Amino acid sequence: MDTINALILAIGFLGALGIVATIVAPRLGVPILFVFLVVGMLAGEDGPGGIHFSNFWFANFAGSMALAVILFDGGLKTDSGDFRIGLKPAGLLATVGVLLTAGVVALVAHWLLPLSWMEAFLLGAVVSSTDAAAVFGTLHSQRVGLNHRLRSVLEIESGANDPMAVLLTIGLVEALSAEGGMSASHALMFFVVQLGGGALIGWGGGRLLSWTLGRLRLPDPLYPLLAFFGALLIFGLAASVEASGFLATYLAGITLARQRPPAMRDVLRFHDGIAWMAQVGLFLILGLLATPHELPALLWPALGVGAALIFLARPLAVALCLWPLRFPWREQAFIAWVGLRGGVPIVLATYPLLAELPAARVIFDVAFFLVLMSLLLQGSTVAWAARQLNLLMPQVRTRVHRAEFDLPGQSGWEILSYRVAKGSQPVGRTVKQLGLPDASRVVCVIRDGRLLPYAQWGRLNAGDRISLLARPEELPALDALFERAKSADLKLRDAYLGLFHLSPEAGTAEVLQAYGAQPPAGVEQETLKQTLRRLLPQPVEGDRVRLAGVELTVRRLEEGRIAEVGLRLPKAEPEEH
Amino acid sequence: MKLAEILSASRVVAGVTVTSKKRALEEMSKLLAKGAGTVTDAEIFTSLTSREKLGSTGLGHGVAIPHGRMSGVENSIGALIRLKHPVDYDAHDGQTVDLLFGLVVPQQATETHLKHLAAIAELFSDEAFCKQARAAADDAALYALVTSRS
Repeated sequence: MDTINALILAIGFLGALGIVATIVAPRLGVPILFVFLVVGMLAGEDGPGGIHFSNFWFANFAGSMALAVILFDGGLKTDSGDFRIGLKPAGLLATVGVLLTAGVVALVAHWLLPLSWMEAFLLGAVVSSTDAAAVFGTLHSQRVGLNHRLRSVLEIESGANDPMAVLLTIGLVEALSAEGGMSASHALMFFVVQLGGGALIGWGGGRLLSWTLGRLRLPDPLYPLLAFFGALLIFGLAASVEASGFLATYLAGITLARQRPPAMRDVLRFHDGIAWMAQVGLFLILGLLATPHELPALLWPALGVGAALIFLARPLAVALCLWPLRFPWREQAFIAWVGLRGGVPIVLATYPLLAELPAARVIFDVAFFLVLMSLLLQGSTVAWAARQLNLLMPQVRTRVHRAEFDLPGQSGWEILSYRVAKGSQPVGRTVKQLGLPDASRVVCVIRDGRLLPYAQWGRLNAGDRISLLARPEELPALDALFERAKSADLKLRDAYLGLFHLSPEAGTAEVLQAYGAQPPAGVEQETLKQTLRRLLPQPVEGDRVRLAGVELTVRRLEEGRIAEVGLRLPKAEPEEH
Repeated sequence: MKLAEILSASRVVAGVTVTSKKRALEEMSKLLAKGAGTVTDAEIFTSLTSREKLGSTGLGHGVAIPHGRMSGVENSIGALIRLKHPVDYDAHDGQTVDLLFGLVVPQQATETHLKHLAAIAELFSDEAFCKQARAAADDAALYALVTSRS
């Protein structure tokens, strides 16, 4: 009994300590995940905690489950807009990029460490997957963001390269432990079944799960749980037929998100929490698992392999994958730098240990060191790198008050409540003048705490609360209508997106001539929209193009089309007062 | 760059009454023509409106910077109008406009053009400054305010 109580105490203490430490982490500029890892290490055998934990089977089990949950959540959060923009580059990075990374790392590892070619390639595979959570965590805490293309590429890559890295690792472990290795046809079969089966089960399972969620009458709290266990079921099913459970779970999440069953928002919120918990648990366990006293012996070769990964393998893989897509070079440089390694390499490093490969210990220790090195070196310089490359998009902190409700029996409708803020556009207008797609969708107006009858709505006052029925895709427009942004934020946004607004239909040549620039050949008959489309194959908000010395930006997109163009001015010269 | 170099007291007017964006631009053209030598206000008006056709020069929060390039103009000329009643200016934030800073620059001035615009925009994106400009008692006070700040 005492050990059980002590265990619960330890879990509670470590978890709470780790979460409180997340407040400190952004101030130190290190990724939050690094803090959990350190807390785990401090609790472990080489730290004051002194807990001896070397159960690799349990670490592998817990790690796989945590990873499945994190991937499912990642899939749920990926919307179709992300896909349109990010699928091709991220898909290349997650396949060709992973192989290239593993290959280059293997070259260096074979040279620096006592590993055979096959073992060195295994090490490469183990460390080939990236983690985007750490990137966004750091940026978010500093109130800056990246453009949509960078966000979707990093996010989809981070999700899609996990199954690929797992696949490579398992395949190599099997080949290394099999007598006489693995034949080429066997290896090909392995890949086809893993990828094809995983994709099929994930897609089918996601649709089935969505259908079930829409059909069953359950108490509200049970919908997210059903989705959760459904995801584990899909993972297990796929794994039981030698297909990739990670790929299946990730795709199931994506499929579910596209189907949008009625309880979707509860499902999302629940998995947000569960994924956090999985991250925390994963890193604590991995921290506990580490044996830092073994690291010094491997310090120099591990440093060499880490440097090869960060400065050689990743940039090379990124350049070869993204150059053919005409990806902007600044964004390529950023993606190359923020190839952060998270928990996945450490989880993968337990596979060779479980298979009792002779090189397993070296692989595990080096992988662990690489993750620490990457989190520290790259993780703490994410915002710095984005600033150097001029990629930080200022974020406007809107004061939108939004309360959301589910509408029973309907999917895709929400009731939203906004507080009409002082100085925002709706003040002084009637509901009809708001320019809503259908004014009758306003459900009620509350003024001075009183629900007003329709006849008394009149013009809106600051402080009124207004509730309306809306579709999720109308959210951005509604948020913009009710936003009251801080003027300092708007100033930064204007500096980035361009102060003057130009009509996308304006002639490019006329705009350039208005500012004394000589229009380059080819733009004579074009509108701004056409010119930008030609120069930017896949435009996202914040994209910039310099034409004959005039800098144009994509200010706003509407369903992928350029809806507003900005004109950027050179920085005003410092003035004397 | 100092805005005082392109502005003169005679081209700063507080309390103009107009009913539309077009009328506001006409008033602005007349004011700018005072400093433009042989160039007529009609020519300036054409230049300003053709720029507006490419996209409103309204910056938001009630400020607009109509501008254009003109042959026949020797130096950059600025003018400032404060409207008595704000007019609809097709600004992207949907708000009406009551502060207008007009600018015409010589045909060949490309770099200076953009720098002037940036300096004017910098000044008028300061909320506190706009508040003071709206509260200035008369033409002279408004002129004094702008020249003291830049």
